[in-house]
Amino acid sequence: MANEAEKNPGILLVGAGLLVLLGVLGTVWLPYFDSSVVTPTDTAKLRNYPTDSAEARGRHVYIREGCIWCHSQQVRPVRADSKLGPVTVPGDYYYDKPVITMTQRTGPDLMWVGSRYSADWQHEHLKNPQKIAGPASIMPKYNYLSEQDRNDLVAYLLSLKPAPQKK
Amino acid sequence: MAQSAVQGVPAQTPKGSTTVKIYFYTSIFYLLASMILGLIVALKAVNPEFLTSSRFWQEYFTYGRLRPTHTNTALIGWLTTVYFGVLYYGVPALCKRALWSEKLGIFTAVFWNIVYIGGALALLAGYQTGVEYAELPLIFDIGVVICVVLTFWNLFQTARYRQERVLYVSMWYWLGSLLNLAIVYIIGNIPAGWVGPGSIQMGYYYFYLHNIIGLWFTVVGVGTIYYLLPKLVQRPIYSHKLSLIGFWMIVAFYSWNGPHHLINGPIPVWLMKAGIIPSLLLLIPVWSVLANIIGTMKGVWYKVSQNLALKFLITGALFYGLACIQGPFQALMGPHAILHFTYWTVGHAHMPLFGGFSMVAFSAVYYMLPRLTYRHIYSRALMNWHYWLSVIGFLIFGFAMWTAGIIQGFEWMDGKQLGAGFLQVLESLHIFLISRAVGGSMMFLGQIAFAWNVWRSVKAGQIVSADDPILVSR
Repeated sequence: MANEAEKNPGILLVGAGLLVLLGVLGTVWLPYFDSSVVTPTDTAKLRNYPTDSAEARGRHVYIREGCIWCHSQQVRPVRADSKLGPVTVPGDYYYDKPVITMTQRTGPDLMWVGSRYSADWQHEHLKNPQKIAGPASIMPKYNYLSEQDRNDLVAYLLSLKPAPQKK
Repeated sequence: MAQSAVQGVPAQTPKGSTTVKIYFYTSIFYLLASMILGLIVALKAVNPEFLTSSRFWQEYFTYGRLRPTHTNTALIGWLTTVYFGVLYYGVPALCKRALWSEKLGIFTAVFWNIVYIGGALALLAGYQTGVEYAELPLIFDIGVVICVVLTFWNLFQTARYRQERVLYVSMWYWLGSLLNLAIVYIIGNIPAGWVGPGSIQMGYYYFYLHNIIGLWFTVVGVGTIYYLLPKLVQRPIYSHKLSLIGFWMIVAFYSWNGPHHLINGPIPVWLMKAGIIPSLLLLIPVWSVLANIIGTMKGVWYKVSQNLALKFLITGALFYGLACIQGPFQALMGPHAILHFTYWTVGHAHMPLFGGFSMVAFSAVYYMLPRLTYRHIYSRALMNWHYWLSVIGFLIFGFAMWTAGIIQGFEWMDGKQLGAGFLQVLESLHIFLISRAVGGSMMFLGQIAFAWNVWRSVKAGQIVSADDPILVSR
């Protein structure tokens, strides 16, 4: 039943490896040649925070405390997202390291949250979300953050807005 | 070794037993840990005040740190560890010889556990990379890759110097997926700074996110099904050709699936299409696997009710099939626009991983443990409890999440994406989040039955006697 090739683990491994690398080539490597992906937009330039600015540190806190697990940063060209603001394009994420579009919206999308709330609101909301947003909110309290961390985080959140030229 | 203690058992080649035992026992510990973490996550979604009594708990067990620890403990800690156990048992068994190097195997197993426990603690301390499913910091990633390479080398050498001439199809799935795990893991964990522009990174991340499931959990799981099924029903697999077609189709199509997580997202349209089309083509390998299982089972379905390990295996295959009907459907642009970002994803992600391949892994443990320890499984009743609590618990969990996801999707289309509207939707989901915690608790109780059963089997299970079929059918 089995032919000779089926008895050779080498053929199997080289074949399987090559087929997988073909997929890598198509979905991971080819995008390097698409100009929409590798051209930063004005929004991206706004988000190119200098190292050790408050925003850059805030972004670190944002990832460290796992805000990413409940808040997406991506507005799609679909009806559900029509109230969120301008649709995001590949170039908007040019300087993000790592990119944090994420996959859950347990809380609202934060792509343009900087144009929605004030610094005071953000501080109070982080300390006690249920008091500010309403008792139905299931966001954890971030009152354990140090003063410095919270300031940085709020600076980061406020910086999340579209570049002025856009729309 | 264990067999010398058993009267009348012929001294056969031991099948990498110590290595396999370390992997199996530690994987069960991670299984319980991931269940506890998942349950805390579920309860925190019901009541954000849960477990915030002191600053320590509040900070180190905040939702955002628990979630990656839960997913990693389930994926890397439980399922990967138990898969390694299956591989270290199955490959020597199919090669009719002992493991190439038992010492290397034991070293890999111990090193693997040190790496993972360190990684989990790092996640709780806040050192997450921010990339979904690849949250472990770089240093632990390197450790993981070293373990995968050592495992691959050990098993490949075992296969090279085998006594059996033919490579059974499970060997294809197992060895192929170990190589793919190395490729997928390395690509997915390249630090963001080295990759370049943000949207390019998404290609890397979603290649990893999809294929750690598609090219590792699925391929090893299917190989395990092909290994266990003929043994449990005592007849050969229905079609050897069909199983090979399935293998090549999976490696050919799965690796293209990353971009289907980004449909309607910030990537070029051609890339979306390059993800959607293979997602639909995936129906071919999945149905070839299912057709093969149904063909093998034809006329012996009654055995499902007699053999509990088979019951787990068939249920796992069924859930795998269902997950792979959901998958291509979600990858279409319309459904994706409604279901993406919702709780639907949570339900879908648990289906192949818990309902599908954890079930297959349970079956493998129940089948292999008596052959490793020369003791029968302690209690059939506990196996049944494990089965029903897991299945019913998962169904409650899954349907709660799927329904919640659909509600979220349609409410958002009515414009409830922000502020008060968003909170209103959240409030209406409360009951589903409670259902999730209830289903999750049942799943957890099932796993306690499992762990207790394994513990008792090893300590006090009935000893295998010389004329037991276990020794003949190894």
